[in-house]
Amino acid sequence: MAVGVIKIDRVSLKKAGGFMGINAMLKGLTVTGRHFFKNLFGWIVGKPQVFTVMFPEQDIAKPPSFRGMPVLVQMDSGKERCVACGLCEWACPVDCIHIEPGETEDAIERYPKVFDIDMGRCMYCGLCEEACPEEAIVMSSRIEIAAFTRAGTIWHKTDLLTPVDELPRRLDYVRRGYQR
Amino acid sequence: MAEEQKPAEAAEAPAPSGPASPILKRLVDGFGDKILSTHEFRGDATAIVDRGALIDVCKLLRDDPELAFDFLMDVTAVDYIGRVPRFEVVYHFYSLAKNHRVRIKVPLEEGDPKIPSVASLWPSADWLERETWDMYGVKFEGHPNLKRIYLYEEFEGHPLRKDYPKEKRQPLIGPGAVHKIPENDDLTI
Amino acid sequence: MADDPKNGSAAEQDALDLDFETMELKVGPSHPATHGTVRIQLKLDGERIVWSEVEVGYLHRGFEKECESGLYYQAFPYTDRLNYVSPMINNVGYALAVEKLFGVEVPPRCQYLRTIASEVSRMSDHFTCLGACALELGAFTAFLYGVEARELVWDIHDEMCGARVTCNYVRIGGISADVGPEFKAFVDEKLAQIAKLRKDFEDLLLSNPIFIERMENTGLLPKEQLIALGVTGPLLRAAGVPYDVRRAQPYLVYDKIDWDVPIGERGDNMDRFLIRINELNQSTRIIQQCVEQLPDGPVDLNDPHVRLAGKGRVYNKMEELIAQFKLVTEGPKPPVGEVYQAVEGGNGELGFYVVSDGSGSPYKLRARSPSFSNTAALTPMIQGQMLADVIPTFDMINMIGGECDR
Repeated sequence: MAVGVIKIDRVSLKKAGGFMGINAMLKGLTVTGRHFFKNLFGWIVGKPQVFTVMFPEQDIAKPPSFRGMPVLVQMDSGKERCVACGLCEWACPVDCIHIEPGETEDAIERYPKVFDIDMGRCMYCGLCEEACPEEAIVMSSRIEIAAFTRAGTIWHKTDLLTPVDELPRRLDYVRRGYQR
Repeated sequence: MAEEQKPAEAAEAPAPSGPASPILKRLVDGFGDKILSTHEFRGDATAIVDRGALIDVCKLLRDDPELAFDFLMDVTAVDYIGRVPRFEVVYHFYSLAKNHRVRIKVPLEEGDPKIPSVASLWPSADWLERETWDMYGVKFEGHPNLKRIYLYEEFEGHPLRKDYPKEKRQPLIGPGAVHKIPENDDLTI
Repeated sequence: MADDPKNGSAAEQDALDLDFETMELKVGPSHPATHGTVRIQLKLDGERIVWSEVEVGYLHRGFEKECESGLYYQAFPYTDRLNYVSPMINNVGYALAVEKLFGVEVPPRCQYLRTIASEVSRMSDHFTCLGACALELGAFTAFLYGVEARELVWDIHDEMCGARVTCNYVRIGGISADVGPEFKAFVDEKLAQIAKLRKDFEDLLLSNPIFIERMENTGLLPKEQLIALGVTGPLLRAAGVPYDVRRAQPYLVYDKIDWDVPIGERGDNMDRFLIRINELNQSTRIIQQCVEQLPDGPVDLNDPHVRLAGKGRVYNKMEELIAQFKLVTEGPKPPVGEVYQAVEGGNGELGFYVVSDGSGSPYKLRARSPSFSNTAALTPMIQGQMLADVIPTFDMINMIGGECDR
C-alpha cells in the first residue's frame, strides 16, 4: 500500500469546449435534459425522481441512528424510568436540562419531580443519552419543536414522556452497543 | 494551585545528556542558557526560549539547512494565571523538507506582555499575531498592523484571558446604543 | 494612488490622459457572491485592485473559551461547528489530540471508521466548495447537482451517527456508535449515486469555456509565497507542493490504504478546482477500501478512565456504574502536559493544541484552522487582479466562517 503523488490533467480542458464552445453547449443540454426527462417521467408514472421533499406533507426516511429531540422513556406502568440521578444534567454542554428529584414509596424510590428540557438551547448532541445509566432519556425521531413564545420552548416532564412502544427503533439501536 | 498549572515543567524529564531530539540539541548547542528548558512530551519537541533570543532562534530555525522550518503553523498564547511568568506565547513550526515539527514557547511577565514580532520572517505571523493580541493582549513589537482581528476596537478586555468571565457582557456601541447592561435580561428565560 | 508602483507603466500612461482616482468598494459582510460572512474592502483603479483588506470575525463565538469551561467530552459538539461542512474531521482531530495526551490508541475497527468519517466529510466539504463556486460564477444547475451529491454524502453521515451536519460522532477513545452489517452495501450504493452526479457536475463545468476563462490564471501566487503565508491544503497542492498531513505524517490508517495526492502545476484557480475534483475521487477510493477492509472487533477503548463502558456493563456491574458517574461528572483526566495534533482538514492542516493541567477540562484548547491562514492569503492573491477575479479566488480559498473565526 502506498501513497503516490499524481499530477492533475489540464490538457483535456483545452479541447473540451470544442469550436466556439459547441461541445460545451451540447454536453450541458444533454446533462440537464437527461435530468429533466428523468424527473418528468418519474412524475408521470407517479414515482418522482426529484431530490426535493415536500417536507410537512411528505416525511423523510430517518435511519435508526437518527437523533431527534431527547425524550423520557415511559414504562408500561405509566411511570418514567428516570431516577433523577442528574447525569444528563452534568453531561449537557449547554445546560438545557433541569431536574428536581423527588422520592416515592414505590419500588423505584427516586423520580424527577421536575424534568425540563429547554429545546431552544438543546443541540441534539446525544450526550445525555450516552450518559444516562438507566436508558431513561433517549433521542427520539421527533423534530417539531417550534413554539410561539420563549417559554413555550421549555418542554416539561409530561410533554417529554413517551411510551416505550413508540421508541422501538431507537431503543434497538442503542441496545446494539450494549456489549461493547 | 500554582503548582497545578505548570504543565510544561511537570511533564519535563531532563535526561543527563540533554534533549534527545536533534532539533532541540541544535537549539541548546546554539543558544545555551537562552533556551530555558526543553521537553518532549508525547514526542512533541518543545523548547522554552527567553524573549530576548526569540528572533535569533527563529532565524536559525528558518535558515539552518538542518532545521529548515519554512512553515509557521500557529501562534497562540496560554494564560497560566497565578503563575510567574503569567503568559506563554506558543509557536508551532513545521518543516516541509525535513517533515518535522517543533514548538517554541516564550514566557512573558504579566506586567510586560511584549514580544518581538516574527511577521518579517514569516508573513503568516501577521494574522496569527493579531489574533493573539486580540485574545490575550500580548503586544507584538514591530508588527506592521497590530489591531484587533475578530473583535471590534471598542471591545474592553481580552476574552481568552482566564480572568475574563465567560458571561461578561460588553457595552453596546454604535449610533443609538444604550451604554448599560439591562438588569432584567430577557434573553434568559 | 496614481503613482502606485503596482499600476505599471501602462496605467501611468493612462493617467496622463485621464484624471482618475481610486474607487473604494466594500464587499460584504453579507454579499451573495462571497462564500462566507466576511468583509472585503477594495480600492479599485478602474476594474483593477490596487489595495485590499479582508476583515474576518463576524462568526466569532469564542470556541476556545467555551471549550475551556466545559469538560473534555463536552467540546465535541463545539468542534462540529468549526468547519461545519466537514464536521467529522474536526471531531477526529480533537479526539486524536486528546488521545495523544492520554497516550492511548483506539482499536483498529474504530480507526477504519474514523477514516471513513473523515473522508466522507472531506467529500461534503469539496462538494460544497465546488458547488458554491459554480453558483457564484453563474452556473446554478451545477450547484444543484453538487448539493444533491452532498445530500447523499450526508446520508452516510446520517447512517453513521444520526445527524447530517452536527455529527458529534467521535468520542475520546472511540466513536459514539458502531455501524451495522448493512453499512457496506449502503455506502457502495451511495458512492455509486455520488459518482454519477459528480460526472454530471464535471461535464457541465469542465468543458464550459466561460467557466474555464474565469478560473484560469486567476489568483496566482508562487509556492514560496504560499508557504510563507502558511497556506496549506488544496491551495498549496495546486501550486505543486505535495504536502498533505495524511501523507507526510500519517494518522489513523492512511498509510495502509492505496491512494494518491493530486498536485497541480500552475497554482491558479483552475488547478485548485481540479485538485478538489480529484480529491473527491481519492476520497471515494479511500472509503471503498476502508469499507472493504473494515475489521471486526470492538470500536471503543476498554478503559473506564477514558471511555464510557458499554451500557450492558453499566447496568449490571457496580464498577462500571461508578466509572460512568465519575467520567460524566468529572470528565476524563489526562496527565499534565501539552500536545499538538494535526490532521488534514477539508482546506488544509487542522491542528489542535491542547494543554492539560490534570483536571477534567482542557486548560487551553486551540484550533489551528486552515481557513484562517488561507484567508490571510487573499490580499496578495487578488493584488493587481480584476474585480471579477475576487469571486473565484475567494471561492477556491473556501473560507468557512465557523472555522476561520472560531
